[in-house]
Amino acid sequence: MEQVLFRHNHPDRMVSLEEYRLEGGFEAWAKAVRAMSPDEVQQAVIDSGLRGRGGAGFPTGKKWSFVPRDLPGPRYLICNCDEMEPGTYKDRVLLEKNPYLLVEGMALAAYALQVNHAFIFIRRGYEQAAHNLRQAIDEARRAGLLGSNILAGGFSLELDLHQSAGRYICGEETALMNALEGLRANPRAKPPFPAIKGLWGQPTVVNNVETLANIPAIIERGPAWWKGLAAIPEAAGTKLFCISGHVQKTECIELPLGITLGEIIDGPCGGMRPGSSFKACIPGGASTPYFTSDHWQVAMDFDAVAKAGSRLGTGGIVVFDQNTCMVGATLNLIRFFARESCGWCTPCREGLPFVQHILERIEDGLGRPEDIDILREHVQRLNYAFCALAPGAMGPVEGLLRLFGDELDEHIAKGKCPFKGSRSH
Amino acid sequence: MPKLIIDTIAVEVPEGTNVLEAARSVGIVIPHFCWHPALGKAGACRVCAVKILEGTPKGVQMSCMLPAQDGMVVSTGDEEAVALRRSVIEWLMINHPHDCPVCDEGGECQLQDFTIAGGHSIRRYDGRKRTYINQYLGPYIEHEMNRCIQCYRCARFYQEYAGGTDFGTMGRAAMIYFGRQQDGQLESPFSGNLVDICPTGVFTDKTARFRARYWDYDMAPSVCPHCSLGCNTIPAARYRELLKVMARRNDAINGWFICDRGRFSNAAVNTPERPRQPLVDGQEVDWNKALDTLAERLQKFLEIHGPESLAIVGSPRMSMEGNIMAARLRDFLKAGTLSYFEDTELNRRTLEATGRLTRDTSASLADVRGADLVAIIGCDPSEQSPMMALAIRQAWRKGARVFRVESGRSEAGDTGISPLYESSHADSVASLPLAEAARPVLICGTNEAGLEALQITPPAKFAFLLNGPNAFGCAELAAEQGAASLAEALAAGTIKGVVAFETDLADDLPDNIQVLATADWRATALVERAEIVLPTTAWVEMDGTFINNEGRAQRFKQVMHPGLPIKGLTPELHPPHGFRKTAPGSEPTPAWQWIELLMSRMGAQSLDAPLSGHWERLKQLDPEQGGLSVLHERN
Ligand SMILES: Cc1cc2nc3c(=O)[nH]c(=O)nc-3n(C[C@H](O)[C@H](O)[C@H](O)COP(=O)(O)O)c2cc1C
Ligand code: SF4
Ligand code: SF4
Ligand code: SF4
Repeated sequence: MEQVLFRHNHPDRMVSLEEYRLEGGFEAWAKAVRAMSPDEVQQAVIDSGLRGRGGAGFPTGKKWSFVPRDLPGPRYLICNCDEMEPGTYKDRVLLEKNPYLLVEGMALAAYALQVNHAFIFIRRGYEQAAHNLRQAIDEARRAGLLGSNILAGGFSLELDLHQSAGRYICGEETALMNALEGLRANPRAKPPFPAIKGLWGQPTVVNNVETLANIPAIIERGPAWWKGLAAIPEAAGTKLFCISGHVQKTECIELPLGITLGEIIDGPCGGMRPGSSFKACIPGGASTPYFTSDHWQVAMDFDAVAKAGSRLGTGGIVVFDQNTCMVGATLNLIRFFARESCGWCTPCREGLPFVQHILERIEDGLGRPEDIDILREHVQRLNYAFCALAPGAMGPVEGLLRLFGDELDEHIAKGKCPFKGSRSH
Repeated sequence: MPKLIIDTIAVEVPEGTNVLEAARSVGIVIPHFCWHPALGKAGACRVCAVKILEGTPKGVQMSCMLPAQDGMVVSTGDEEAVALRRSVIEWLMINHPHDCPVCDEGGECQLQDFTIAGGHSIRRYDGRKRTYINQYLGPYIEHEMNRCIQCYRCARFYQEYAGGTDFGTMGRAAMIYFGRQQDGQLESPFSGNLVDICPTGVFTDKTARFRARYWDYDMAPSVCPHCSLGCNTIPAARYRELLKVMARRNDAINGWFICDRGRFSNAAVNTPERPRQPLVDGQEVDWNKALDTLAERLQKFLEIHGPESLAIVGSPRMSMEGNIMAARLRDFLKAGTLSYFEDTELNRRTLEATGRLTRDTSASLADVRGADLVAIIGCDPSEQSPMMALAIRQAWRKGARVFRVESGRSEAGDTGISPLYESSHADSVASLPLAEAARPVLICGTNEAGLEALQITPPAKFAFLLNGPNAFGCAELAAEQGAASLAEALAAGTIKGVVAFETDLADDLPDNIQVLATADWRATALVERAEIVLPTTAWVEMDGTFINNEGRAQRFKQVMHPGLPIKGLTPELHPPHGFRKTAPGSEPTPAWQWIELLMSRMGAQSLDAPLSGHWERLKQLDPEQGGLSVLHERN
């Protein structure tokens, strides 16, 4: 299968700058900065159909086009490498293997947006990735690929790496900007949107690592070629899927968007582990509602997954076998979200611990029928939280109620978790 | 001006008004915790949900976050919105300790009110409540974090509005904490506003701890007497004791807040050492005896020394009424001197400064908050009138440039960073970039530098920091009555005796001056020295009028009756075996009334009320109507 993001990867180490350049690295950048207008770069991204890989799947070129070109003062580009969504580790793998791809992608994005100062906001735990990036930025600067008057094309770009103190909410783009400004990582009210008023009040674009890393290939090989990498005509490009759970092979793989869930699990994942059969999975990171075997044929692309009642999210697939208690799995996720709430708004700060308490009660065999109503209520009411964390957190709970109602009822009726003591591994 | 419909009521509001305020404007109170008029929206509590039936965005929305738009149709009673509000209250109540019976906020608590309004009553959460460790925040403010509902008002006020750095938000998720890095007194001179602004009982006034409920208080609209700005207050008293002072909203002056000096300076009113009983030569007497003796001695003094040698002394900390009556007493006795300011220079400068202000050039605190250039000339707002410094900060936050004018003291261009605002140095008023400013305000001390600044032509406005809550009124009277400074009169050598009202005359009043009488509610040096002492009421014990630094006359109302606080009674008075018609220590009488009584005792006929004649126009002052400028008769 065609590899765009993992094309230069070596199994055991990071690619070097020479190797990357020998295989065509930074050619897109050289071409753009010498021979393309910023608008042409942006248009190529629009034409490619590239959608954001950070979770929301927003069309990247369209997002860029919201940035007003005539406001005074600087504009900013931020690469979001907070990556704390459980089940998601693609940005780490990408940066550990090939940080140059991000540097080149950011340079292209910055050029399209006419940004002269860009930031990479990286999760604290990603020491190796940060190390690689620092090296890549240094080398690129020394090679004249960053800095002032790049490749004599007249464009200048500074790229700064910020190692965040780290929290899940720092990945939310407006909380990220607060964190970068040294404020508490609480999200900001929208409007105004970052494209108008972002970092330090200036127009700002935030994009995910993987999103940006796709841009060199789009510029180098053309949007039509890149778009055609997808498995179905509605989709565009490839996607990094991070697989974990009860499958044979748990790894991060680059696959065409639109490939079915079944093809992923039976193909590159090597199927389920011995003795395990597929019960459910999280299709796109911890904040997405579950898929079951009913969804085996769903094309893993943004719209198709949404149509099937979930979200493609980050492409982090967590597979559960028949011995997994879905109440317990959901509780585990909710514990994460309740802990990671930034604490700004009431529904999330107080509602998630309430949901956690109810799920604990049910899992401990103390559930009551009316607990189901409380969970339902929260699925609905947490939509009115200040940011997307709380509605996302309720994704698995919504899935639990919709797909595993009988399992919930069984917990309550039996007064215990039917899976306790029956795990095979 | 968008027109919208809220619950079938048509509303028209200025552009930029949010739906919550639009609803308030027609008397619909949408529950809210994090929104505060002075702090704006936060969108944190989610309790102000309404449903937008027409307009964008539709559906359940937070009314504080949504600007009112033309054609909007809003339902505040929509089932879904009400359900969300109920949920928010349920969430907040999960951890709230329900310790209302021992909480000083009880009865004046927004959380109590909106919990009842929200309709949440049955507890569904049966887990443990979270608890916190409280901090010692100094002698004024009690901290009880368990009651916190995380509305973020305190941190937004303390850090953003008031520039404090030693208090803020800590922690995350369900363990958010509002406090300091470690125990210790809050550093901000505006810390007391946490008590007012916290919608629940996390911050309560320690000085009034466990003393009374809201419905027990004697309260009235009042005016702060602790500097010349005249911030509006609500003092609260019970059992003849002033318990606490709260800020009272006045958008032209203090907005929603007051400084800690204004809030926590109650001790002088309550102290048992206050003059509470008329004294003649150190002996307690009843008021009749005191007045008789004073009348007699005055008569004798006038016979021996002649009226020329008598000085009647008023004061910038006394009400207009008292100072007007002091002038009438001078007229009646034909006393040689009437004085309102002791110091000659201060007298001259105060008269000059106030005399040259006009309606167009006198800056209110609201003008300062809205200024685009502020210059500080010969004064220290943080020290003299903290609320002025807070107003400057608001201007600075909105982008105003702030200058300190000090000739030759620092390098041009140097930056002063106070916690409240950054300022640059300017050598002189002439060097200020006034031409670049649309709304410049010059804040001046009552000194030569300040007076020089007055040479600037409009559109600059001026705010003078004067010496006392009624210094402006005294200057008006001094000009009208031809009063001189006491120092000047003393220097001329004609004065042999004084009768002083609520003055802080310096200790060095020459020994050969006979202090016939002083009337005061403070135990001053002059009270020690006076032959006759007439106890007066403090501002909270009377109705009266102050004219603040901008020339705004304001009425304050009687909050409480004078009298020894019950906890101040001596053991001999308990149990009270005597049968008295008045409370112990209730002799204090407003200074103006003492003067009236004295004058009629000495034969004055048909006495006019203090606010008559030229001052008649202040008679109808309504304490809740924001005051009245006395500058309107000027050019
Ligand atoms: C709670 C929360 C956490 C998020 N974490 C991340 C993250 O770690 N990385 C990321 O790229 N986007 C994250 N996002 C999405 C970002 O807000 C933003 O949409 C994204 O970075 C945009 O990039 P894209 O358009 O390239 O996807 C998060 C969103 C929410 C609400
Ligand atoms: S939903 Fe509210 S509390 Fe949760 S992370 Fe977002 S802003 Fe913070
Ligand atoms: S302490 Fe009071 S003002 Fe501060 S967040 Fe808590 S409830 Fe709000
Ligand atoms: S600034 Fe002056 S008038 Fe205002 S509260 Fe403080 S002391 Fe009182």
